[in-house]
Amino acid sequence: MEVGGTVKQAVCKKNDLRPGGMMKATLGRMPIVVCRTLDGGFYAFSNQCIHQGAPMSEGVVCGASAPTDQPGEYRYVKEGEILRCPWHGREYDIKNEGRMLSDPNRRLPGFKVAIEGDDVVVSK
Amino acid sequence: MARRLIDTDIHERVLYEDLITYLENPWKRYITDCHWLQEKHMPYTQPAVAGVDRADARVPDGRPAGTDLAFMQQQLLDANQHSFGVLTGALDPSPSSMHGWYEMATALASAYNDWQIENWLEKDERLYGSVHIAAQDPQGAVREIERVGPHPKMVQILLPIDDNLWGDPYYHPIYEAAEHHDLMIGMHHNEPPTHFGRWPRYFIEWHTLIPTSHMIQVSNMVYNGVFEKYPQLKLMMIEGGFTYVPHLMRKMDQQYTDLRHEVPWVKRMPSRIVREHVRFTTQPMEEMSKHDFLQFVDQMGSEDIICFSTDYPHWDYDSPARALPALGEPLRQKIFFDNAKAFYPKLPEVHGGGGNRETSSV
Ligand code: FES
Repeated sequence: MEVGGTVKQAVCKKNDLRPGGMMKATLGRMPIVVCRTLDGGFYAFSNQCIHQGAPMSEGVVCGASAPTDQPGEYRYVKEGEILRCPWHGREYDIKNEGRMLSDPNRRLPGFKVAIEGDDVVVSK
Repeated sequence: MARRLIDTDIHERVLYEDLITYLENPWKRYITDCHWLQEKHMPYTQPAVAGVDRADARVPDGRPAGTDLAFMQQQLLDANQHSFGVLTGALDPSPSSMHGWYEMATALASAYNDWQIENWLEKDERLYGSVHIAAQDPQGAVREIERVGPHPKMVQILLPIDDNLWGDPYYHPIYEAAEHHDLMIGMHHNEPPTHFGRWPRYFIEWHTLIPTSHMIQVSNMVYNGVFEKYPQLKLMMIEGGFTYVPHLMRKMDQQYTDLRHEVPWVKRMPSRIVREHVRFTTQPMEEMSKHDFLQFVDQMGSEDIICFSTDYPHWDYDSPARALPALGEPLRQKIFFDNAKAFYPKLPEVHGGGGNRETSSV
């Protein structure tokens, strides 16, 4: 449905996605990726990586090594909250507006998500 | 007119079980009975999401990326309308990198070449190949070049960059045979040619400094007089990018200006030798603006020495549509097509657009 320049659309059912999962969908004609974090939240982003356009839904939802002040220290955090590109592996923070961990000034474009009944409704 | 594209670095991959039918005994039995595998030592876990491959390049039936022609056609050659692609192997096995047992290396090289010809070069007219050899035994290597080099779709001889310095006169019979068969030399790094021959602590260190290993080989080939001795020979440096080249040219010229007496067989300025004999594949591209890109071209003093490559199916693949800034013609066409076309004399003429139907058949 298009309302005054905005597109709003049910892109999948809540149960289509397990926590920690993702799936590709389309919003209008635009390819998007819908992610569900482990706490049950839904998020939607462009399905084209901002680097060279790889299909994000072919990547992985995972966690990441936290920045640390200690060389040699690995601390795995944000399980289920990082969307990693299938090609060059850039890490996008799902719950932080899709910002890239290595450069938070850059981000994967995101969309508004609302749950209406069983539907995951995405709008831009 | 459709845009033409020559991809100068595509990694087809063999499974050892697929090589067996191309091997005689006892070599075959060393694999089937003794589970021979070439030693590989990379200590890192996952540089990217799916190891060293693009996560979406795994064959749908589960086989590793790069093992299936039909899937490569769909995902790479058709999708990007390749005119030609040059196969560079997965460097596993890499006969020229074996430390010892040159007889096995020689047998593997022959088996690999036969497998490549039958399953790739003769199955898709866009694909051209690299002759694999066991270069540690130059006489055996020359026999293999004589055997498969005349194949119309073999365009270069592949030498891995590791701990051998290929400019040494010991290897010159290989270049003589290459020149005789209109084959160029392609060099691609193997494991681990940087960091004094050892792996550094982190993958990111190794991957950052791969160009140092390419610089070593280019300077070694230039100073050992390979291009003076074999004037038709050219060298493609594969997967080191090109941003190191301005530095290397300038440094070599300065050194030559002062130290020419040590290498009196080198008769041209090294930067000129590079411009006339050496080409560099683009991938892995650093992100850069058109302005940045043109500065590198300017400092190399030539628009003719870089050639586009994807490195498919590896994780640091470069997209033909997205990796380079918008350059405008005719530079774009030179990088995507003309430079590689001029480099490989065995590539046929292309009539019309970018797809394979317009290319002349084998
Ligand atoms: S295309 Fe996504 S990281 Fe390069």
